[in-house]
Amino acid sequence: MATDDVTRRGDRPGRRSGFLPWPGRRGVRLRTAVIGAVLAGYAWAAGATVPFSTTSLVFVLIPGVVIAAIAYAWPPERIPPPDKLDITGMSYWAIAVAALFEWEASAFRDNSLPWHPSLTDLINPLLGPHIVKSAAILLWICVGWALVRR
Amino acid sequence: MIMSTRAITIAGFAIVIAAMFVLEFLARRPGSRIPTLGQWLGYAMRPRIGRVLILLGWWWLGWHYFAR
Repeated sequence: MATDDVTRRGDRPGRRSGFLPWPGRRGVRLRTAVIGAVLAGYAWAAGATVPFSTTSLVFVLIPGVVIAAIAYAWPPERIPPPDKLDITGMSYWAIAVAALFEWEASAFRDNSLPWHPSLTDLINPLLGPHIVKSAAILLWICVGWALVRR
Repeated sequence: MIMSTRAITIAGFAIVIAAMFVLEFLARRPGSRIPTLGQWLGYAMRPRIGRVLILLGWWWLGWHYFAR
């Protein structure tokens, strides 16, 4: 039985497979470098905004809108999810995630006082330096892109 | 030495987050029954509602930490 006609992952872009192909390996590298530079510049600018300002809100809204538009209108080739998950294996994750939420909720319930800080209270000071905040924003955007591919 | 309540709280967060890194490491071993973070997120994102909720959660994190 001939199987050559079966399309495999990576053979060619599927229906609405996302960005138009950019021929050549060099072109792909160039495109990646340009996108990386633009994102780094964006993250640097976003990292300079003052919290609780309209500018900072806009800088967070734009990636959200772009990611949502890509996910809806131009979805890239997705990494196939597993058909099912092992219940035992997944339960370890469930316990860890539940513990994190419970720990956070207990701090939130105590009004996040200094003697019982929430995760936000602990992370916010770390995001103070411009370069750290910009790196975190860049990481956040990359995670958004990774999620769209899932 | 008696740990302060603040130190206990921080230690709790550190333990849980470290446990997640350990789980991800264990999940990446060949033949592991534990799914990777990407695998179970991908599984949760199979239905449209899961996809929407997880992307909303991602955006909320950005808003929470970077806009306020």
